[in-house]
Amino acid sequence: MVSIIGWSRIRSPWILYMCTGACNACDIEVLAALTPRFDVERFGILLKGSPRHADVLVVTGAVTRQVAPRLKRIYEQMPNPKFVIAAGTCATSGGVYWGCYNVLGGIDKVIPVDVYIPGCPVHPQAVIQGVAKLLAKLQEAK
Amino acid sequence: MSTYKIPVGPQHPAIKEAFQFNFELDGEIIVNVKPRLGFVHRGIEKGMELRSWVQGIYLSERICGICNVPHTTCYCIAVEKLHDVDVPKRAQYLRIIINELNRIHSHLLWLGVLGMELGFLTFYMYVWRDRERVMDLVELISGNRVTPSMNFIGGVVYDITPKMEMAIKKGMDYLEERTKYYKSVVLNEPTIKVRTENIGVLNKSAATDLCAVGPVARASDLKTDVRFDDPYSSYDEIPFNLVTYSYCDVFARVLVRVDEVLESINIIRECLDKLPSGPIMKKLKRTPPPGESTVRVEAPRGELMYYVKSDGKENPYRVKIRTPTLANIPAVCEMLKGYHIADIPAIIASIDPCYCCTERILFIDKARNKRWIWSHSQLRKYSLEWYENGGRR
Amino acid sequence: MTTISREEFILKELKLAFNDKILESRIAAPRYIYVTVNKETVIPLVKFLKENFGLRHIVTITGTDFGEYIELIYHLAIYGRTLMVNVKTKVPKDDPEIESIVKLLPGATLYEREVHDLLGVVFTGHPNLERLILPDDWPEGVYPLRKDWKMEGT
Repeated sequence: MVSIIGWSRIRSPWILYMCTGACNACDIEVLAALTPRFDVERFGILLKGSPRHADVLVVTGAVTRQVAPRLKRIYEQMPNPKFVIAAGTCATSGGVYWGCYNVLGGIDKVIPVDVYIPGCPVHPQAVIQGVAKLLAKLQEAK
Repeated sequence: MSTYKIPVGPQHPAIKEAFQFNFELDGEIIVNVKPRLGFVHRGIEKGMELRSWVQGIYLSERICGICNVPHTTCYCIAVEKLHDVDVPKRAQYLRIIINELNRIHSHLLWLGVLGMELGFLTFYMYVWRDRERVMDLVELISGNRVTPSMNFIGGVVYDITPKMEMAIKKGMDYLEERTKYYKSVVLNEPTIKVRTENIGVLNKSAATDLCAVGPVARASDLKTDVRFDDPYSSYDEIPFNLVTYSYCDVFARVLVRVDEVLESINIIRECLDKLPSGPIMKKLKRTPPPGESTVRVEAPRGELMYYVKSDGKENPYRVKIRTPTLANIPAVCEMLKGYHIADIPAIIASIDPCYCCTERILFIDKARNKRWIWSHSQLRKYSLEWYENGGRR
Repeated sequence: MTTISREEFILKELKLAFNDKILESRIAAPRYIYVTVNKETVIPLVKFLKENFGLRHIVTITGTDFGEYIELIYHLAIYGRTLMVNVKTKVPKDDPEIESIVKLLPGATLYEREVHDLLGVVFTGHPNLERLILPDDWPEGVYPLRKDWKMEGT
């Protein structure tokens, strides 16, 4: 029973996507990864609308003050075990927005992160590699 | 008072900036709308004051990742105005080319997203597949798919070689054929028509009074386009048509954008044919002299304005940015009044709010005194089901 | 016959109508005019432009902190949005108050709220001067775009 859940999680992780104050460039690149040219759905990855359904949370953008409590709440709503991918330099460290008063920094200031994908914006191929790395990590954990 | 709220997270299954509209409802009909912004407010105007003039280019590029080129163009022209210089002709033409490539990518992206909002996913996937062609061309010119970092104070960074010219021309032929096909889909496909015709009507006088800009204004038959009204960067030397429609609804906004893609393709061809030779950059001092300048640029979503003030120091004293989406928010509030909850996604998407910005939507039912909050995904689902059950007025 | 440009014509008309109330004026570039007035003159000036030059479009309102006063610039577009008149005025920083122009130009609603949020200028007569941009937990009376406000660590 346990192995079947682990197997299905690796074969078909469901992801939830959230923008926490990105400039939209990472967002369109993450979305482009789902469209025919790059097509991450071939790894069984499905985009979901509710945190309750998701295994993996993909976050783009530096965390703004206004969105930080909401990000935390979304993370808490996801069932265990849960994983977080920080897509883009801003989600990793705050990036280009240093010194902007409404930006707290990278998302690891608010929630724990499993995979960081750098890039401004992330290339869809980098998104695929990041997801593959996460899957490899899951395989080991199994 | 039996008021209650159901807060659902501010995340979204597709991409969305967080943005909140508070709706007042009478049953299913929207009576009043109040916007609340600030979920992605980062404090960039203050951040600009902490950066050098050159660093400002790269911050302005990251205000909006989708229409990043108009932002850097506007900022660079504003600083060049402080220096009181004109950039070389070739650089001006290259700026037009990269701006128009950006416009094509933005409009196609929007067209796909509209398909998604209407539940027409096939259309979305097809459009986004063809959009990759534009991304390839931007990558070919600059090495980056989305943010080319093409503009610099005094000119542009990358030149276009004859080999690239050929590739761009080929790409334009492909895109023209595909865009014409999408136009025929939009004109003939009942899925799109039934959800967009006579929805979100904004008449001409309301569009003028609420200061609507860009395709939203042009779909309300308002002849306004900064490229015409206030030509910058040699736009006055390139012949092109101003696209306007008089239907004033969501359908007109779709047509305006599709036609603008075709216009942009022609502008790029014209620019490549006329491309003057010469340098692409004029070397300027890192710090402009004291002064102030105001510049307007036509971004894909409409009129973008930068006000830059220098006090002769190495940082800008003040940079004020007015983005087109902010200008269109009073207009979208007006458009929504009197329509059903199910029409909200299509109407809000129709102003192309740097991606449909609705994140959490708060409903207040006046008659029943109820309050609840919906996420965009729930709203979209509700909207699709409502139409599947034949719920037209 | 001498012809004068549109910009010169507008400046001439403005000076005829307001004479010494126009404190300063210049043509910065083709299609860009800057006019400086007292804060009491803003409303009559906007009214005048609306009645005589077809002003319907406001691009935005810029607020800049200059230490003792806050400078407001109303970026107005006339002649079918082809020509910009930038109306400058000053409000004292310890009592930043000015009459709202929303009644004349409904499109200015959000811009006035934005300036109120970030610089603390009070627009009297504005129908709804609520918080627009700053987060819910932002302290009252703290205005990030004022020069004396500094972020920690910068």
